[in-house]
Amino acid sequence: MDTILEVRNLCKTYVINKRQNNVLKNVNFSINTGDMTAIMGASGSGKSTLLYSVSGMDNITAGEVKFCGNDISGMDENQLAKLRLDRMGFIFQQMYMMKNLSILDNIILPACQSHKIKEKHSETAERGRDLMRKLGISDIADNDINEVSGGQLQRACICRGIINKPDIVFADEPTGALDRTASGEVMEELVRINNEGTTIMLVTHDVRVAARCTRLLYIADGNIEGEYNLGRYNGSTKLRERERQVSNWLMEMGW
Amino acid sequence: MYWHILKKDLKRKKTMNIILLLFVLLAAMFIASGASNMVTIFSALDNYFEMAGVPSRGLIFNDTDNRDKYRDFANSNNYDFQFHEMISVSVDDIKVDGKKLDFSNIICIETLENPLKVFDSRDNEITTVNEGEIYITSSMFYSEKNNFKTGCNVQITANGKTRDFTLKDYAKNAIYSPAMSGLAKILVSQKDYDYLKSGSSGLLWECSVYTDDEGYNTKISKAGFSSMVRIDYDGIKLMYILDVISAAAVLLVSICIILISMVMLRFTINFTMSEEFREIGVMKAIGIRNGGIRLLYLVKYFAISVIGATAGFILSIPFGNILLQNISKNIIVSGNVNYMLNLLLAVSTVFIVVLFCYFCTRNINKISPVSAIRNGGTGERYAKKGFINLWKSRLAPVFFMALNDILSKPGRYVSMAVVFTLGILLVIVPVNTINTFSSDSIIELFGMAKCDHVISQELFSQKDNFGIESVKENIDSLKKELNKNNIDAMVFQEIVFKAGILYNGRKMEVMAGQGNGDIDDGMYAYIEGTPPANPGEIAISNVVAKETGAGIGDDAEVNIGNITKTYIVTAVFQSMQNTGQSIRIYHNEDTGSETPAGVLGIQVRYNDKPGSNLLADRMKLLETLYPDDKVYDAGGYIASMTGNVAEQIGNVKNFILGIVFCINILVTVLMAKSFITKEKGGIAVLKAIGFKNIQLACWQTLRILIILFISFVLGILLSTPFSQLLITPIFRMMGAYSIEFNVNALEVYLLYPLAIFAVTSFAAFISSQGVRKIQVSQASNIE
Repeated sequence: MDTILEVRNLCKTYVINKRQNNVLKNVNFSINTGDMTAIMGASGSGKSTLLYSVSGMDNITAGEVKFCGNDISGMDENQLAKLRLDRMGFIFQQMYMMKNLSILDNIILPACQSHKIKEKHSETAERGRDLMRKLGISDIADNDINEVSGGQLQRACICRGIINKPDIVFADEPTGALDRTASGEVMEELVRINNEGTTIMLVTHDVRVAARCTRLLYIADGNIEGEYNLGRYNGSTKLRERERQVSNWLMEMGW
Repeated sequence: MYWHILKKDLKRKKTMNIILLLFVLLAAMFIASGASNMVTIFSALDNYFEMAGVPSRGLIFNDTDNRDKYRDFANSNNYDFQFHEMISVSVDDIKVDGKKLDFSNIICIETLENPLKVFDSRDNEITTVNEGEIYITSSMFYSEKNNFKTGCNVQITANGKTRDFTLKDYAKNAIYSPAMSGLAKILVSQKDYDYLKSGSSGLLWECSVYTDDEGYNTKISKAGFSSMVRIDYDGIKLMYILDVISAAAVLLVSICIILISMVMLRFTINFTMSEEFREIGVMKAIGIRNGGIRLLYLVKYFAISVIGATAGFILSIPFGNILLQNISKNIIVSGNVNYMLNLLLAVSTVFIVVLFCYFCTRNINKISPVSAIRNGGTGERYAKKGFINLWKSRLAPVFFMALNDILSKPGRYVSMAVVFTLGILLVIVPVNTINTFSSDSIIELFGMAKCDHVISQELFSQKDNFGIESVKENIDSLKKELNKNNIDAMVFQEIVFKAGILYNGRKMEVMAGQGNGDIDDGMYAYIEGTPPANPGEIAISNVVAKETGAGIGDDAEVNIGNITKTYIVTAVFQSMQNTGQSIRIYHNEDTGSETPAGVLGIQVRYNDKPGSNLLADRMKLLETLYPDDKVYDAGGYIASMTGNVAEQIGNVKNFILGIVFCINILVTVLMAKSFITKEKGGIAVLKAIGFKNIQLACWQTLRILIILFISFVLGILLSTPFSQLLITPIFRMMGAYSIEFNVNALEVYLLYPLAIFAVTSFAAFISSQGVRKIQVSQASNIE
């Protein structure tokens, strides 16, 4: 399998009020194409910082982050923006969308901005509708963002994250603001996208979310302390068993 | 605790608070200096007139017959009056440091015999003039191109005798310093005066009359004689209208700035309250009362307004003095400036700001702790999408988002639109006024027919053979010259008589105009009726119609010289000549008077409608034909008559343009910063999904530019009614009741909007660079 993301000796330090806080300390790991990797760890362990550092959303203090073989730590803001637009997708816990746009317009916004796929806005909208249909939210295309439920909104955010057919999707606690049912639905969609070939790297606290991933990384005190390979998730029957495995592993890691 | 919260707030919203402070400062400074200057000018004018001993009536005669007749008239009525003699000189007779004088007004040489006191540049009364030294009227001293300086050499030739003088200083002359007076004086010593005088050639006699006789106008009208200049106390005051206009413009700008400050304050308070929505709810939850929370805001805005108003008050003193500097060239203002008024107005600014703030913070009462916690950080739970769709549009996402933001939340941009619209209006109104004053059609408002060129002949009426016949000869001579040069043109000249009109027992002293040469009464502009077409018909101005009650079809008695005739009124016109107190006599009417009071310039209207190049060539030809006179186009002639009103309003316009630039920059920075603060989350997410900084800056800038564009359209649409509302009363004071503004499309629709657009876009783009400070990683911390 090809390596899509390779992280070497990654360090991230914040200086607040002249006090140095080393959030990430010599982190090393790599992610292969098609993986669905979950980063887990206690609050304040550096999970989100790791996600933002490797996705080019935040500067790193030292080390190397290679995306598809290219070192992104040396890229300028415009190059990183282009990378995020064309080759990466993002899903956040807070499901933020532009308030004055309809759901469909929010979804197609990155595609209209990108020149990756040459098409008219109406053709992009058709692709957006297709994605919405696949994720079961085609009926809310013309709605305001405040007219839909949290689960629907997060699925719309997933559509926005994958509209440009990215190589990798980064998700920061994508189910953090959702109830159990909505959370399950969103995760099923992410698994489906992953099964279609999109690499996913996500941060989560939730064992049920982690259980759907192929691989787990445990971060503690700014370091990757452990790794667990779950294998590909193929159906709901095995989920309980996977959840149990994850829980046991987390207990071993000191969760 | 309040102090602690306040300190934190002042630090956190530094730019916003500084801009608000600047607005309060500007408002306090402008209102204090503008209103104080208005009061100063009005009180200073009366004081100055009293100090100078301005007569109730002033007349200038250019012939001894009329002079003596008036002396008899004044004696028989027991008026207190005094005559003094002056020598009239042409501009060609004066050289400044060896260069020919460039000045369009009549120039007279006089001594200190004049009962009217004159003052030097330091406001000291001029009591002696040494031999070889001169003082010149301030309007002449400050005339462009001549570069007068104290100590410069002025060579004067009169009656064939030449003498060199040193310019001692300029003189403030209460009657002849205003540019509109059309006459300037040179003050010389008695010895020098005697040297330059030669018999009675080129002499003028000025009479200062001191009387409160209410029947003066009726009596003088019956007496029937003519004078070169006739002016009364109110007329002299009216000549200072330009100084009053400048002060009024500053006051108008001040009112607009106060209005803008209020709009900005309202925007800032609403913005702060929405930003601190949750904090307000929490404060309420822990038991702080509404009054207490409101007090927090009031303390902050009170502090800002006190600092702003104090600085504004301090700055209003030097700023007011700068504004008064121009006025003090003509008037003695020292001793009339009242700084207490500045202080009072600065304090009022604080009061208005705090009161307005009190009303704006009423919404705090409506916020409940529960809604603050449930509705998120800003209280904006429901956002409505716009009615346009990205997928249906062909616009680039950045432009689409800018447009969609405005369409979906127009209320958010109202404050900005109001300020921008006011700004463009403040610039367009003086531009329209200037263009109206300098347009060729303005000549019609001075009782003259439209023409291409005017040859100014100020001294023509002072010639020995001056009379209607000499006017006709003058016209014929020019016609012959034009024919020689194969130029087909109509040549005409307006002669004016001093006249009295009586209707229904109401009498009025007026200026009667009559066209001579290739003129038809239909060539003049009228408001209503048909032009006089037969002898015995007249047109009257709307001022005369109003004063006497005469209308179309009425018979009015008109007295010119010693002859009184009954005329039928056929038309009404408007005129700013003689402040609207004028009538028009049919051009072929025999008035019976051979000696008119004067003539206006000789007018030429070409029949072949020449282009600008040909017009310029013909102007050169006229200049060679009349080397002693000045040749103007129609607008230029009026400018020379009115003391270049357009130029003076132009200075006011430039000042306003500067203020508008500053206001637009401040408002743009304030708004752009506020929007970025409020949309931090959206910007972070857009960055996360791949928008570049430059694209986000363009989105923010475009929104402001779209509002600016809408404001320009609004401003341009409103500019004509706004100009009518503000400027018509000033024209009305001068006699014109209905003005059709001359709108220069290039300036009004392109040049000035483009200049404001460039400055505002620059400010918007620079402010929008604030998006760079927002980190992509902040997308994870959105509420």
